[in-house]
Amino acid sequence: MSILQTQLKNKKQASSSSSPSPSPSDKPRVLDTAEIMVAGLRFFTERSDNTTAGEPVLDVDNGEELMHVQPAVSIVLGNRSPESPGTLYISTKQVIWLSDTDRAKGYAVDFLSVSLHAVSRDPEAFPSPCIYTQIDTGDEDDESESSDSESDETLDLSKIDEMRLVPSDPNQLDALFEVFSECAELNPEPVEEDEQEHNWIFSADQSGLETGLDDVDPEWDSQTNFSTIGHSNGNNDLARNVLELQINDQRFEDAEEMESNSSGDHQ
Amino acid sequence: MLFFSYFKDLVGREVTVELKNDLAIRGTLHSVDQYLNIKLENTRVVDQDKFPHMLSVRNCFIRGSVVRYVQLPPDGVDVDLLHDATRREARGG
Repeated sequence: MSILQTQLKNKKQASSSSSPSPSPSDKPRVLDTAEIMVAGLRFFTERSDNTTAGEPVLDVDNGEELMHVQPAVSIVLGNRSPESPGTLYISTKQVIWLSDTDRAKGYAVDFLSVSLHAVSRDPEAFPSPCIYTQIDTGDEDDESESSDSESDETLDLSKIDEMRLVPSDPNQLDALFEVFSECAELNPEPVEEDEQEHNWIFSADQSGLETGLDDVDPEWDSQTNFSTIGHSNGNNDLARNVLELQINDQRFEDAEEMESNSSGDHQ
Repeated sequence: MLFFSYFKDLVGREVTVELKNDLAIRGTLHSVDQYLNIKLENTRVVDQDKFPHMLSVRNCFIRGSVVRYVQLPPDGVDVDLLHDATRREARGG
């Protein structure tokens, strides 16, 4: 069955370029709930233990792995002032910065939201050499100025669209850049799988069966208590006969459902 | 995969990558991958007034999904070759 479906699907895909039939890519992309939640920067406080030495808790069940640890890194969000040195953790899914002094302080951004990363060395643009990143906040018409005027008390991470990571050792920048690049490549945009089409074919088979039942008895739909229709009218024998007939036909497997249906047929 | 192959042939050339946030970065195409992530070298920002920070950047990695346009060097576009390639791709071959 699955082979047939695959063949059908391939045939459909191969012909889709010449025929106007809609291909899967024409459908609106269904967003993962996870994907919606991770847009932009967010606070991160889950450490493996409750000390400032604790490493970030990663989603190991879904294959997340720690790729790189860089101690002594300052973080600069937007145009805010640098925050006290912390430790940078780069995993296969996200960039995490945890404060060395305040275990309640930490930030994370998924690679899916990192639009661009670069090595910045021009002292005129920023005093210290750093990894410069642009973050996709998911906000189409965001005013980059809006985050500038905000005080530290009202830090709205969802508006931060720039992040700088300043290692105390500038010689690490190129290595960091490479790790960033490597991990970014591990996180392509979630592509809509062809599962929808599989589901569609599968459910079409099922719904075809159900439609057939409905056709046998249009009234059946309106019967909510379908298991007693035949019995309550004393039509047991009739119902059973029809039941056997249909079982011999080998079209149906659910005797319970069938009995009610077939008996309803003869009301 | 057509455009992956096409961009691979442009490695070493000067291109301008325009992002969906209106940032346009000009630089030498260093590499491209199957997701059309783009690495540029010797970059400069086209609209420097709007994005002064990016001045300092010499190389950068741009996520393929945030790219709106890539402006190509005129002589890097072989129209006939692209024509054939797109036709072949459309046929599924």
